[in-house]
Amino acid sequence: MANAFVAAFEILSFGAIIVLIVLGLGIIASMMGIFNFAQGEFVLLGAYITYLAYAKGLPIWAGMLAAPVVVGALGFVLEALIIRRFYAAPIVAMLGTYALGLIIREAVRGLIGGFYLTVPEPIGGSIDIGTIHISAWRFTIIVITLLVMAGCYLLLSRTSFGLRMRATLENPSLARASGISTPLMYGATFAFGSALAGLAGALIVPVFSLYADLGLRFLIQGFVAVMVGGVGSFIGPVAGAGVIGTLSAALPWVMAPVVADVLVFVLAIVFIKFRPQGLIAGKGV
Amino acid sequence: MPKSMSVVREAIAGDEADDAMVERVAAGQAKKQVKAGRKVLPIVEGVVLVAALLAPLVLQDYLTVFATRVIILALFALSFDLVWGYAGIMSFGQALFFGSAGYGVALLARDLNITNILLVLPAGTLIGLTFALLLGGFLLLGRHPSSVIFVSLGTLTGSYAADRLARGWYYLGGQNGIPSIAPMSIGGYEFTEGPAFYYLVLGILVVVYLLCRFLVRSQFGLALAGLRENEQRIAFFGYKAQHLKAIIFAIGGAIAGLAGSLYAFHEGFVWPNMVGVVVSTQVVLYVLFGGSGTLIGAVIGTVIVEGVSFWLSDNYRDIWPIILGLLLLLVILFRPLGLISFVLGERERVGSFGAKAREKRDAP
Repeated sequence: MANAFVAAFEILSFGAIIVLIVLGLGIIASMMGIFNFAQGEFVLLGAYITYLAYAKGLPIWAGMLAAPVVVGALGFVLEALIIRRFYAAPIVAMLGTYALGLIIREAVRGLIGGFYLTVPEPIGGSIDIGTIHISAWRFTIIVITLLVMAGCYLLLSRTSFGLRMRATLENPSLARASGISTPLMYGATFAFGSALAGLAGALIVPVFSLYADLGLRFLIQGFVAVMVGGVGSFIGPVAGAGVIGTLSAALPWVMAPVVADVLVFVLAIVFIKFRPQGLIAGKGV
Repeated sequence: MPKSMSVVREAIAGDEADDAMVERVAAGQAKKQVKAGRKVLPIVEGVVLVAALLAPLVLQDYLTVFATRVIILALFALSFDLVWGYAGIMSFGQALFFGSAGYGVALLARDLNITNILLVLPAGTLIGLTFALLLGGFLLLGRHPSSVIFVSLGTLTGSYAADRLARGWYYLGGQNGIPSIAPMSIGGYEFTEGPAFYYLVLGILVVVYLLCRFLVRSQFGLALAGLRENEQRIAFFGYKAQHLKAIIFAIGGAIAGLAGSLYAFHEGFVWPNMVGVVVSTQVVLYVLFGGSGTLIGAVIGTVIVEGVSFWLSDNYRDIWPIILGLLLLLVILFRPLGLISFVLGERERVGSFGAKAREKRDAP
């Protein structure tokens, strides 16, 4: 019983991590219609900034707060300089952001080398419930994921910023005619998605360590999750990430990890083939 | 809403892309008015062929070995150019066919002692063809046409899954792959690294190149180029767009398989990266650099990327991938048709199909 509980917790916390990583990816894909291949590298940057803060002797929390801010600002600049030119063609956007990701990844590799750098958990130890011990930090990640999800939802559905964002998504030219600065909205959306990736990187670095291919590890998983969930809505990618994250954490408990890993992807692709709109068909946010 | 937002948005985006393309082409055309009547492509092809024929005579031994590898990779790039440059299928997992054929012939050599060139090369080609038929059939065929994004993610995922499988499967050597494959042979002769192997793969490249050239300049190729430019319109004309795509995808897989089996024997070992995302994206780089949709662009791109990599990796091992990324970004931003578009007009890329067709069109 205790084992089952620990297993369920592990699975849940991994699902939360994937949701956190996919949230920004899904927002950018849904809002702007491009699949950002550099998103994994934004996660990597968030992790790297947190590590830098830690290595300089600052509190880890400071690094974790700085990560989304810095990565978000970088996202805003990159959108204005480069990403903006790709909106006309989704495939070109994939290639362009792939090149961008390559540059960031190799730059970080140059800075840290091939090492696995570790950052301690800001909240160490475990939460004990009777004889069961669960990692306090992983529990915190689950809580933060829920808070971030709620925050994103409120931001998109209850604020005027969210309204402008959704208007731009629904009909860019009409939004422009109504006085919304659509280029600014695109920039803000991309920055927001990047900031979420930065935050995800900051939160997961104590769990996965820091290495150059950290972002790459989650990239394909993220894309598949977005497609499974359904592009074009806020909740779709989150649901997809939950399903994919949970499956890829749960299946290794019952079969060989490699088989499980491959099976998740095969199932996902078959699912998308027969239900291209995803779990939750997009109706805007 | 009948269709998901993304589909609609993609269709719109496609039209905008067309407009952008038309503008870009128009701008390029104005500059190249002088060259409009001249055919550049055959000249480029001839120069490359002569250079390739002379290479082993002037290169040192270790460079000939390197050049052989580049030619094999160029063959692989050719397969990607067929599916992306002509049919507009973004196959982000082309290494799946390359690598699985490599593993296939490695197993033939290891377990069955089959190294006869007349058996292993067709076997590798067949493996690539079969995998491409299965994956392409699944991804491309069906009641509804698949979106470009779905096909690219599907192929990427296929390649990633194969990579994971190869890493975890003890029979395939796991992380280390299959080492020390016996050399390819015919009768008593063994092909080891060197000029003989070089001219063998060059010969194969030339034959495959000519076949591809014939293919893309046929009616079939014209329909493919139409698919790339505007799939809905071609489908509207009554072409079975999905079937055409599946056919070219399978042909591309077969060529990738041939390249993969040559690569396995040339390097003497296969390892998981060969089926994975790394090599898959590498081939995209080659073709984008050189210029898609020209065949020779793929070859030139491979030579440039591999050549510069080879030269720079000694001195600037750490920053070379960053430079590569920057160059790629610049090419995508400013020269989406690759380096060959500096000398080649758009009209020739789409294809002047035969001398007669040109005369008719140019007539007043």
